[in-house]
Amino acid sequence: MAEPLIRMQNIRKSYGRVQALEGASFHVNEREIVGLLGDNGAGKSTLIKVLSGAVPLTSGDIFIRGKKVSLRNTSDAIAHGIETIYQDSALVTQLSIARNLFLGREPIKPPRFLNRMDQDAMNTVARDLLKQVGISKNIPPTTPIGSLSGGERQAVAIARAMHFDSDLIILDEPTNNLGVAETQGVLSFVRNARDSGHSCIFIAHNIHHVFQVVDRIVVMRRGKVVADDIDPKKTSVAEVERIITGMSDKEIRDAIADGKPSH
Amino acid sequence: MENRSLIQHLIARPEFGPLVLLVIEIAVFWSINHDFLSPQNISNTLAFTVELGLIALAMTLLMTSGEFDLSVGSLFGFSPVLMWTLFNSGLTSLEVGFVAALLVAAFIGLVNGWFVTQLKIPSFLVTLGMLLVVRGTALFVTDGFPQRTWSAEGSWLAEALVGDFFIGPFRIYMSLFWFIAAAIALGYVLTQSRTGNWIQAAGGNPNAARARGVNVSGVKIGLFVLSSLMASLAGVISSLRTSAANPNSGTGYELEVIAMVVIGGTALTGGRGTIIGTVLGILILRVMRNGIVLIGVPGLAYNIFIGAIILGMMALHSWLERRHQAGT
Repeated sequence: MAEPLIRMQNIRKSYGRVQALEGASFHVNEREIVGLLGDNGAGKSTLIKVLSGAVPLTSGDIFIRGKKVSLRNTSDAIAHGIETIYQDSALVTQLSIARNLFLGREPIKPPRFLNRMDQDAMNTVARDLLKQVGISKNIPPTTPIGSLSGGERQAVAIARAMHFDSDLIILDEPTNNLGVAETQGVLSFVRNARDSGHSCIFIAHNIHHVFQVVDRIVVMRRGKVVADDIDPKKTSVAEVERIITGMSDKEIRDAIADGKPSH
Repeated sequence: MENRSLIQHLIARPEFGPLVLLVIEIAVFWSINHDFLSPQNISNTLAFTVELGLIALAMTLLMTSGEFDLSVGSLFGFSPVLMWTLFNSGLTSLEVGFVAALLVAAFIGLVNGWFVTQLKIPSFLVTLGMLLVVRGTALFVTDGFPQRTWSAEGSWLAEALVGDFFIGPFRIYMSLFWFIAAAIALGYVLTQSRTGNWIQAAGGNPNAARARGVNVSGVKIGLFVLSSLMASLAGVISSLRTSAANPNSGTGYELEVIAMVVIGGTALTGGRGTIIGTVLGILILRVMRNGIVLIGVPGLAYNIFIGAIILGMMALHSWLERRHQAGT
């Protein structure tokens, strides 16, 4: 089999004495949407933070297209084509859509020494991109992010990742706090992203959203990857839920029954 | 319809409130005392206004990046003292003393920026400490006495900085042109250049800016240096114009400058700044100080009006902000 886009091997991460990751191994292929599932505290967020350069790993290796890399900070990860989109946090609310899209990589109008942004070019590209990610409303690219809805902000963040040719887009809970129409919007951006050659890691508590878009589901439990080849087309939601909790139906019923008297 | 949306657009701008306030202020003072708009009064008001204004322009950029600088008032006093001390002791010429004063100011800005960005200490505390260090140095070096200044006429430096001439009945100092040039240059940097985008991002969401590869610490350190340099330049200009170098001059200017900036519409919390607003804010406060005296209100009552203006403008800005957010 061809070398995957991203391969994380035997990743360990401890916060003091707390082991968040205990030898997790994980990979993402080219042009693939992977759904990462797991209960609270299973280690999904930590795994993603390691991959996006937000926290250093304690031990383990990360390979990108077969080449070992070290991701010391988020800029490193972005330089390697890994873009992480958190709800809200990646955008500057006071700046316009176009200024956010190009933040840190603003095109310059000649002569260079005047350091002048090419705002016309920025606005034109921004307008095109907004259409591509499915914002049909006519929002001018000079609108500040602060006056956009949650879904529109996600769309801008995804548009930015697509425009700067990120190989891997990580979406951490992208459908949280979104309305029904906005959620559908985000899900369709994810499909578009794959169609245009990007890979995605999709993390969500809502298993139904995950089932709608992903090619493969990976489940984590207690800092380890316990299943990494679940085909959403051949598996039911209930089966995946069982893997996530690590309990059979009967055990779940018992657990609930046990819990009752104490309430 | 087109016309109406143009007016609405104008009203929605953050500079609109300060502009209205300035126009009302001038109209009121002028209607009470017509001398208010006499050439002599305008010339007098402008002379000092632009000196404080230079500091406020740099402070606007610094505050947009989410920091502020309380040490500017002490540098305003310290830099001319240093320049004159060097000159009077015969160590250097006036020009070299001037350059030395600027270099020391730049170093002080660098230290401020380093403490804030590398040690992660809030700029309030860092620059408060620096205020005391710089003011204390000025007092110690001079034993608290004003420095002997020689009438600077004839020096090309003095001519370039504060040379005066008449345009019709108006007495204009060269410093006015320095102020206008600085306002245009910094307005350009803030709104047109990519540096301006980084300054706003550094104040608005530093983590997001850092994640995009923007050197947030570098931007802030640069702005601390700029702020110190402008305070130093303003101090020297003022000293040359008045032929005085008092180690105590500039006391309290830091707060007046910050007031000018926030009245103009720059957010104290960073992320949003406007040079046009700051120019209006500078004029509002200086016109107020001049007008109050001119219409016969005791000068000691000045602070009452300044305080009221700050509170009123803050209320207006927060109201506009909320209305803006609710409307979307």
